[in-house]
Amino acid sequence: MDLGLKGKVALVTGAGSQIGFGKQIALLLAREGCDAVAVTDILIDDAKLTAEEIKKLGKKSIAIKADITNQADVAALMKKVTDEYKKIDILCNVAGGMANRVPYDKAKPEDWDKDIHLNLFSIMLTCQAVLPYMHEKKGGVIVNIGSGSSRMYAHGSGNVYGIAKGGVDTFTKQLAFNEAKNNIRVNCVAPGPAPTNFIPGPDKKAVVDMMAKTIPLGRGATQADIANATIFFASDMSSYVTGAVLHVSGGSVLD
Amino acid sequence: MDLGFKDKVALVTGAGSQKGFGKEITLTLAREGCAAVAVTDVIDDVNLTAAEVKKLGAKSMAIKADITRQTEAEAMVKKVLDEYGKVDVLCNVAGAILQKDYMPIDEQKTEIWARQMELNLFGMMYICRAVVPSMRARKYGAIVNIGSGSTHQFKMGVQVYAISKYAIDLFTKQLAFFEGKHNIRCNCIAPGPAPTNFGAVLREGMQGPPPTPEQMARMREGMMAEFPLGRMGTPTDIAKMTVLMASEVTGYVTGQVIQVSGGNVME
Repeated sequence: MDLGLKGKVALVTGAGSQIGFGKQIALLLAREGCDAVAVTDILIDDAKLTAEEIKKLGKKSIAIKADITNQADVAALMKKVTDEYKKIDILCNVAGGMANRVPYDKAKPEDWDKDIHLNLFSIMLTCQAVLPYMHEKKGGVIVNIGSGSSRMYAHGSGNVYGIAKGGVDTFTKQLAFNEAKNNIRVNCVAPGPAPTNFIPGPDKKAVVDMMAKTIPLGRGATQADIANATIFFASDMSSYVTGAVLHVSGGSVLD
Repeated sequence: MDLGFKDKVALVTGAGSQKGFGKEITLTLAREGCAAVAVTDVIDDVNLTAAEVKKLGAKSMAIKADITRQTEAEAMVKKVLDEYGKVDVLCNVAGAILQKDYMPIDEQKTEIWARQMELNLFGMMYICRAVVPSMRARKYGAIVNIGSGSTHQFKMGVQVYAISKYAIDLFTKQLAFFEGKHNIRCNCIAPGPAPTNFGAVLREGMQGPPPTPEQMARMREGMMAEFPLGRMGTPTDIAKMTVLMASEVTGYVTGQVIQVSGGNVME
């Protein structure tokens, strides 16, 4: 199926990790027809590896270092991408992470601040910064990466992360509602557990497999699962879908 | 993108209407590589849909059945299993609205409640009962149910219909939760308003004459109350998302209700 991505320019944040969702999303966008996929990460050397792989697929790419919790960095990021490729059709907000695992009753405001900044504030900043460019081209699509943790309450240590990701859900809907008139769709993909750097320790698969015991489909998510869902929202396949939060979690979130 | 439909057998209910979601879903499944797409409906036009599938090079069979009768639903599924040996993909599209307008709780007839549940919920349930055991045996199945944005659109005033559709949301989640271990996925696509026969042509004998222009206008106004993307949906919009949910590429998505309504519904 042709996803209608030909000629499109995409920007993927958090595309540095070589085992993360961002890289797989960036590669899939390139494989499915985007002309150019710009990638950004605070880990610029890793982002460069991703950009190299995109170029090997015959597509344009640049790796840009940015701390997306920093407004000036984000503004510079958008300018660089549009200077290079003249537009941004697709923004995939993948960057995020659990900044700390301090239980809520022990957490200091600065602990909360880190998670909120990294996961919610960052997406608000990139969206705010990309909108003028999308308005200029009279359209665009934004896909935010949320998290199943916004609906899971048993893992107390991660609750501020879950709260921040819950904010991403609501921000997605608010933005979708208000930007629809500008032909901008905004959706959110909420992954279940996957063997990315989100999982601490060396044997990520073992941790995910343990978590998968309570998941109806009996397995954890793969990077491909998340990339697939993200690219559908980034493409014309979902041309009439906006403001949706899709849980890609093997049935672990059903509400 | 290859959606992984090679060698897959699909069954689509409610595929008779030539301007409905079912037909468009059927043709998209065939175009994307399904080996066979069986279609069923209570109306003869289902034969037209099957003929179009064959033109696309996939196998097809049209089975006329009233899926609100359990024996007919079961016999229909048996025919498909006998013919193709399996059902990998089941799209439950059949459904209709039986009320013309808002009716206060004390005025809406009990028969309408009963018939609406039979048509939108029981039919789907009968078919899933007949199909799921064969999916379990093969450890593979993708079920997509068509729900409705009306579950969140109170102004439409179609409360009985909306309740029957909300039941589908929950039926989807229940099925997803309990059949996940058999690698059977179940998701729901909830369409917003689209130019199908919905509401325009009521099944004969259900509830008297078609809606008046005033009733239609009121329903339309309710549907269009908040409509961020500024246009109605099309059968293609619905077919694309339905087929994605039916495909291998959403292999980790289950129990989800996806509103395809241009932002009309954001729950």
